Amino acid sequence: MSTSTTDTARKPMIEVEGLRKSFGSNEVLQGIDAQVAEGEVVCVIGPSGSGKSTFLRCLNKLEDISGGTVVVDGFDLTDPKVDINEVRRHIGMVFQHFNLFPHMTVVENVMLAPVESKKASKSEARQKAIELLTRVGLAEKADARPAALSGGQKQRVAIARALAMNPQIMLFDEATSALDPEMVGEVLQVIRDLAQTGMTLVLVTHEMGFAREVGDRVIFMADGVVCEQGTPEELFGNPQQERTKEFLSKVL
Amino acid sequence: MAVAALLFGASGAAADTSSSSSSSSAVEGKTFVIGTDTTFAPFEFRDSSGELTGIDMDILRAIAKDQGFKVEIRSLGFNAALQALTSDQVDGVIAGMSITDERKQVYDFSEPYFESGVQMAVAKNNDDIKGYEDLKGKTVTAKTGAEGETFAKSIAKKYDFTVKSLDQSASMYELVKSGNAVAVFDDYPVLAYGIAQNNGLKTVTDKVPGGSYGFAVNKGKNADLLAAFNDGLAKIKANGDYDKIVDGYLADPTAAQPTTFWELLGNSLPALLKGLKNTLLVTGISFVVAMVIGLAAGFMKIARNIVVRGISTTFVNIFRGTPLLLWAFMFYFGIPQLTGLPINIWVAAVLTLSLNSGAYVAEIVRGGIQSVDPGQMEASRSLGLGYGKSMQKVVVPQAFKIMTPSLINQLIIMLKDSSLLLAIGFAELLYQGQQIYAANFRVTETLLIVGVIYFVAVMLLTKLANFADRRFNK
Ligand SMILES: Nc1ncnc2c1ncn2[C@@H]1O[C@H](COP(=O)(O)OP(=O)(O)OP(=O)(O)O)[C@@H](O)[C@H]1O
Ligand SMILES: [Mg+2]
Repeated sequence: MSTSTTDTARKPMIEVEGLRKSFGSNEVLQGIDAQVAEGEVVCVIGPSGSGKSTFLRCLNKLEDISGGTVVVDGFDLTDPKVDINEVRRHIGMVFQHFNLFPHMTVVENVMLAPVESKKASKSEARQKAIELLTRVGLAEKADARPAALSGGQKQRVAIARALAMNPQIMLFDEATSALDPEMVGEVLQVIRDLAQTGMTLVLVTHEMGFAREVGDRVIFMADGVVCEQGTPEELFGNPQQERTKEFLSKVL
Repeated sequence: MAVAALLFGASGAAADTSSSSSSSSAVEGKTFVIGTDTTFAPFEFRDSSGELTGIDMDILRAIAKDQGFKVEIRSLGFNAALQALTSDQVDGVIAGMSITDERKQVYDFSEPYFESGVQMAVAKNNDDIKGYEDLKGKTVTAKTGAEGETFAKSIAKKYDFTVKSLDQSASMYELVKSGNAVAVFDDYPVLAYGIAQNNGLKTVTDKVPGGSYGFAVNKGKNADLLAAFNDGLAKIKANGDYDKIVDGYLADPTAAQPTTFWELLGNSLPALLKGLKNTLLVTGISFVVAMVIGLAAGFMKIARNIVVRGISTTFVNIFRGTPLLLWAFMFYFGIPQLTGLPINIWVAAVLTLSLNSGAYVAEIVRGGIQSVDPGQMEASRSLGLGYGKSMQKVVVPQAFKIMTPSLINQLIIMLKDSSLLLAIGFAELLYQGQQIYAANFRVTETLLIVGVIYFVAVMLLTKLANFADRRFNK
């Protein structure tokens, strides 16, 4: 299995080996091997229930790992001595349903992690938060409540919140699936900008066009294993596996 | 000075009773806690100014004065007073209590201080019941554990009637007036006094000579107090004070002045407001304690550790599965008997209310936390906040918003439930109401006033809580 195209020399940010995850007797991940290099943008696609979200959530240990190893930015997540809260500050995560904190204003959402981890004073955190909100085009909404925002705006705030700790890696789980079509573009634009800054991104997505456009590499998952992976050109242009062809014929 | 004169004169007159100066000096200057009934007019009741008065009270105070000791009266209710005596919460009980062989096994009694007897009364407008024969197939009422009950039960078979026992004279008279019982068997002085107070009854049979009333201490305890009581009793009988007291209540019962509703309201309001204050205070304190207990137990209920969860579930099940009143008795009477340590009534009251309510608050807390979208916890954890911080900053604030209406509801339930504490003699609002109608027999009107006070208190509390809710849970 060839790893990647041009970037084999870059430092690996995520190394997954033989990752297994079961919910009770249901083994959802059945031995996943994958690497993501620093600055690489990897898109994960696959049919519903194939384990994409579960895989992503194992990368910051939102799910307990049943077997195998996951090393992120040098931290072995299966090592019980590792301070998982510290590791998570290196990894931003964006959810399908935004999960903004409704009892806080937009800027408070973004400030929470820096303030609570004592990485910044309140005023520093606020300044940084306003910068991030400016970056996603929402500085004027800083003091609004999340309930007052549109879906696209909410997701952009969620991205700003995930960026507040200056993570090395960002994980996106279907960040645009819950949005009205006219709002998908604004969120994709923010992600596109992030990709251009050279940040390491792992995107679970149903947007095949977007995956082809921004992805350095695409991983196709099926039934809890990595079925096929390659550059967007390879995977979308010339899929090797029957499962891949079948899946792509349905979604493209 | 007057005490000395009285003492002197009395001991002179009382020939050679065992009034050695040592027996009186053993109690001299001491304060004894004496339990009594709440409602046994004319032996104990509250006058219009709220002071405890009556034959028992006057006799006890005269004896105390004569013997140089002080008394602190706890008006608990008859059964409660006896339970308090058994658990050493009080030093003695004087409550129009007949000396019986059964009671003699658990208590030590003084010389009899009053010769009583039982009489039957019916509603004033009832002309059907003229004697025991007319009771066939009917229900009568009598006071639990009192002479009247014993007598009624002794003839119940012969005359074929049923006895329904109640705790308080006023309740028994209401039962008769409401027609739920046709007659009441009560001690004749009590009936005579009630009738003089226009309680709506009349006597139809002759007095049956009955038992003698005695003052009681716990078996083997407070022998000095008992000796002083006997000594003092002999003296006030000898010097005529005793007859003055008894005649004052029985020969010429204070003529009942019919008062208007507004006079009744004015007379009873100070005592009722004192009760309201205690109701609010015990509810407030208990609610704070219940919140602490409930938060702890609620969080324990969602813990990963099965033992921690089990402890919390057991606590919740026990206190949700058992009546509040049971715990009031348990804390105030039961546990002191087990441990031998008396318990302050406020402590018992707060324990009762807060543990009961804490179980419900625990469920509210658990439900509130579990109703917060799990995505909130995940988002917070993914930002690198620990479990505790995530709870504190993200989940609990949202849970509280969800929980607030249920917590307000719980507070109001607690305020109303606090009325059950009257059973252990806690002087809350309804208890004060009982005290008032026990003396004046204006049951309906007094209950109406009490009801309005509760209603207004609950309304104000609800408004206040909703205001706070809007203020803090924007
Ligand atoms: N917390 C859980 N408990 C039990 N089973 C779960 C849990 N989370 C996921 N699963 C199961 O694991 C399997 C994979 O779920 P996952 O959400 O990873 O799929 P997915 O590829 O992200 O699907 P989709 O495209 O619909 O989001 C599914 O069968 C799902 O039912
Ligand atoms: Mg998914």
